[in-house]
Parts: sequence; structure tokens; C-alpha cells
Amino acid sequence: MKLTIGYLYGDLMNIYGDTGNIIALKKRCQWRGIKAAIKMFTIRNSLKQGQADLFFFGGGQDQQQELVAKDLGKSAKGKVIKSEIERGVPLLSICGGYQLLGKYYKPHEGPELPGIELFNAYTVASDKRMIGNIVIESMFGKLVGFENHSGKTYLPGDATPLGMVVKGFGNNGEDKTEGCIYKNAIGCYMHGSLLPKNPILTDWLIKKALEVKYGKPIELKPLDNSLENQAHHMAISRFG
Amino acid sequence: MRLIAAIVLGKFIAYLSRKFRIGGGSAAPGLFALRIDPELIERLSKKIPKNIVITGTNGKTTTARMLAHFAKANGLKVIRNHTGSNLERGIASTLIQGVQLTHPGGVLNRHLGIWELDEAAFNNVVPKLNPDIVVFLNVFRDQLDRYGEVDSVVKKWSETLRELPKQTLVLVNGDDVNCAKLNAAFKGTVYQFGVKDYKVTGESIGYKKELEKLECEAINVKLKGLSGSSFSVVIHDKPTPVFLPLPGIYHIYDFLAAFYLGHELGFSTKGMIKSLKNFSPAFGRVEKLDFGYIFLIKNPAGATQVFETIAPNLKQHDRLLLALNDNIADGTDVSWIWDGDFEELSLRGAKRRGNLDSVFVSGTRAYDLAVRLKYAGFDPKSIVVQPELENALKQAKKGLKGNLFILPTYTAMLGLQKILAKSGLKKHYWEEE
Repeated sequence: MKLTIGYLYGDLMNIYGDTGNIIALKKRCQWRGIKAAIKMFTIRNSLKQGQADLFFFGGGQDQQQELVAKDLGKSAKGKVIKSEIERGVPLLSICGGYQLLGKYYKPHEGPELPGIELFNAYTVASDKRMIGNIVIESMFGKLVGFENHSGKTYLPGDATPLGMVVKGFGNNGEDKTEGCIYKNAIGCYMHGSLLPKNPILTDWLIKKALEVKYGKPIELKPLDNSLENQAHHMAISRFG
Repeated sequence: MRLIAAIVLGKFIAYLSRKFRIGGGSAAPGLFALRIDPELIERLSKKIPKNIVITGTNGKTTTARMLAHFAKANGLKVIRNHTGSNLERGIASTLIQGVQLTHPGGVLNRHLGIWELDEAAFNNVVPKLNPDIVVFLNVFRDQLDRYGEVDSVVKKWSETLRELPKQTLVLVNGDDVNCAKLNAAFKGTVYQFGVKDYKVTGESIGYKKELEKLECEAINVKLKGLSGSSFSVVIHDKPTPVFLPLPGIYHIYDFLAAFYLGHELGFSTKGMIKSLKNFSPAFGRVEKLDFGYIFLIKNPAGATQVFETIAPNLKQHDRLLLALNDNIADGTDVSWIWDGDFEELSLRGAKRRGNLDSVFVSGTRAYDLAVRLKYAGFDPKSIVVQPELENALKQAKKGLKGNLFILPTYTAMLGLQKILAKSGLKKHYWEEE
């Protein structure tokens, strides 16, 4: 079996530790004999249906985020991503990437940055920097990471949060929600890096990607997760 | 009057802190003295004829120490902030300790002030120090929780530079694309240093050096393992051969900065190069021990440079001890280990020598490090996790046949120094100078 991991704007959106998520996906495929290729989709190139089996979208600095927001709309990559998610392709987005997949991002000054409206969520810049270790309770059990954002994200209506905050700020530091999940697409504020320390989530993304690609239920070969689980538990016991 | 009161209090706190061995007294005296006289730094630094400020993500301490070494060889009396305490309070502590209260007016009897400031403290402290020369070594991603993103660091530096008087001399690393952006922000003279054919790796990927003019350049670089490197330094079109007893390309940049500063201060080229023979680097940055080496790692770019330096020199019976803490001085976000090129450390070395028999990991986030090593290609069976540093060191030394390479983050390095001093393996760091 073979997977192509689409790294969305990996040259512009790769703030602290985002690469760790790509490494985790790739290694956990390889250890199971699944070939994993990383393909970057950025401002220079186009994106067509079926070119990636799994998407990752990291965080970026303000200037880069603006460029990417423009390109998502102009190049129609945004539309392709949305239709891929509709057919079940999994996606993980963190921080800036998560914000751009919502309805809009409202900065302190200047016009709103439009998002692609994959998530029914919107983000407003705030003066409060939300920094620190974060632990949430989710459908994957407890997840641990590190958040560092000043944008406050709100989920109006029927949007489903990824989980509820046990320790930390989450989406906005007010309503205890963290992240958003729609079909197999996840957005959240959890760096850390997230996937190496939360192997259940990593494997869920891989499994969903294979199931959509090969059109059948997939059981992943179990791996020895003892180091990953110890890192996970150590973080929870220190911060949770 | 306020100033005198602040100095007396600061000196008293420094005395207590040493007497009771609660650290080297490098922050607390300044912290309390600044509360009494917030203008203490302006008032005291004015009494020093020349002040130099060094900033950047990596290499500040080594550069400052090397310049101090050159200055001392030239008979100058130097005052500088030691032991990596580069925040405002560290500067204040140092100034207080330099004051001779018995002298009328409390005069600082020094010729040269060398101040290392971290990326954030730079903007607050530079206007107070009003330096003659400012050096920018590099800027990499480092502790996003404290400094913010690279773009915002450079933006704030530019704002600070705009306010500096025109006669200040600004020296920048011309190979670092982000530092080079600073040229536009300053109205006075900007000089650049760099290494021929090299670009600064780790962050500024894809940067090709354009045909810019470098006032100070290293050419014909040859790396000589862990013992150092040889090259020629060119200043005003005149090349002079150098042997630098510090390993790794990143130390050449530190040398170039210190060397050009020395040149500006009127030190002789030959004298500086000759005095390198008895230069020893700052504690814990890169340190030779009887049983191995210590290399400080604190951010992705710096860690990757250390890996690139030691990987080709690891031998089969050598061992690694890595220690990751997440205290405030280390950065509370440990995500950075995923941007450091640990793959270089495992894969490149393994090809040459076979796998190391064991790798020890320690510190408050030892398991995060263990996971990083596993995903970098180390065999999980060879990874020994021992969060407690003293025990980890004991285990790593037991039956050691080769060298032990210890790679700690900042507070782990301080802990390590204490452990080494306690077991008589070396002196307390504040006793070293």
C-alpha cells in the first residue's frame, strides 16, 4: 500500500514543530510497510482531486498567512480541499492552517482574511497570548500538546469541537472547546508536536486515508507505542 | 542618592547569594536594584568609555568571551555580563558588581563594556546602554513562547535600530538573510561579515549569497574535526591564516564578529589570532571534559549545527547523553526538537561507525526526547530514559570505553555543571573566571 501526504504550503506554514507531524505520519506508515511520499502543495503549484490521500496544514507567521489566504481562494485549492474532505479524505490543520479553514480571520487592523469555510468557525485577533501546555478530552481519549496563539476561534451553530479542554485555553480561553472536527478533517491549536505524542490520532489519520484510497475497511498493524505513551502520560501528569 | 542605595542593596544581595551558594548571584542583585533606581543602567554605563552590544539567537556568549579575551591580551579592563544572564537585570547586576564604592563617586574603572543581550532584551536595554557598536550574529527560531516569530524579532530590531544615533557602528552577519534585512533600517554605517560560499543553514533555506560586499570574510575553510577549523580571514583585501580551536562552522561566525570588533578597537590582527591558542570557550557551550564533551543545544538551528559538528566524529564506543528541560530559560515549548535535525545525528554517524550501543536521555521532558530519537532512526532498544540527570550521568559513564557527548538544554547544562562540581570533576562556573 502507498500513501501520499499532501503538505499544504509547507514552505510558508511550518511554524514550530509542524514538521514533527509529517515525520510521525511518514514513520508510522513505513514501520508498517506502507510507502509514504510527502508532496508539497504551495503557491507555485496546483492541486487536483486524488493527488493527496491525507492533508497536513501547519501554522505560519502573519505575512505568510496572508499570502496563503489569498492563494487558497485565487488558485481554487480551497475548493479542491473542501471537495476532498467531503469524500472523506483526512486532514490535520494546526493554528494558522486551522484558522484559514474557518470562515474568516479578523485581524486587529485591516480587512478580514477570508477562509475556505470548511469548518463552521471564525477567528478574531485578541490582545491575549494563549501560551502553554494543553490537555484535552476527545473522541481519541486525552490529547496533549502546546498552544501558542492570540487568535480566538469560535464555533457557532452545529460545529463539533475536537475536544474539551482539561488544562489550557483551547479555541478561545472562554468556552472550554478546543479545535473542530468535520468528517475526517481536524483543526486545532495543538503544537507539541501533536502527532508523535498522540499516536492514536496519527493512526486514525492513516487508517482513514487508506480506507478512502482503497475503498475498504483497513486494520492497521499494531506498533509498539511504549515510548510514545510514556511521553503522553508524562505530559498529562505534569500538566493535566 | 537613589543610585548609591540601589548599588549597596545590589551588592548586599550578591554577597548573600554567594555566601549561601544559591547560584552565582547573576540576576537577583540587578532585579532589586532596578526597583530602587530604574535608570541605573544609563547612569553606570555612561562611565565606561566604550560599550559594545552583541545580540542574536546563537553564539552571543562565545563571541563576547572571545572579544574579552582579545581585549585583555591588549591590556584593557573589561566589564561584561557573564554566565548567560543577558536580560536587563543581568546587565544591572554586572554593573553593580563593577562599581568600587570606596572610590569617590563610585567609579567604574573599566575601558570596555561588552554586553550580550537576548533577542527581546535587546530592544529595552540598547537605548539605555547607548553602545558604540552593535553586532547582530544571526536570528533563528527560538523559544516562540518568549521571543515570538523571526519576522517580529527582526521588525522590533529594526525599530530599535532606527532610533540609534547615526555614529553608532552596526555589524551584521551578511550570510543570514534575516540579519541582512537590517541594513535598510539604520541611517549610519553597517558593516557585514560572512564565510565565503556558505549560507546560514537551518532556517534561511534557499538563500544564495548575492554579490554583496563583506568587510570581513573567512575563505578556504577546512574543518578539523572536534579540534577546530582553519581558514583565512580577509579584512581590507588582506588575508591572514587562522586556526580556530573551536569545532564547527558556526563558531567561525562568532570569531569573525569578535575579530572585526577587535579590529575596530585597534587591536593587531596577528596578536588576536595568536591569542586564540589559549582561548577557552564559555562554560558548557562547547566544553572538553576528561571523559568527553559538552555541547549546549537550545534551539533547532543551534542543535542542528552541533549535530553536524559531532556526527562525523562519533566513534563506535562513544555514547550520547541528551537532556531536555522545559523550564522558562529553556523554553516551555519542546516542539523545537522536531525541527532539529536529529536524523543527521543518527543516520550519518551510523553509516560510518555502526549504531552506538546506547543513547541516554534525561531531563524533565526525557520521554519527548526519546520519541524524537526513535522517529529519527535510533533503535528504541538502545534508548535509555533516565529523567533524573545525576543518575543519567552515572549510568552513561558506567563502563564507558569511548567519549561521552553530553548535549543539554540551558537549565540542564546548569544542573550538569552543579553535578560535575559536586563530584569534583570541575569547578563551580562562577569560580571559573
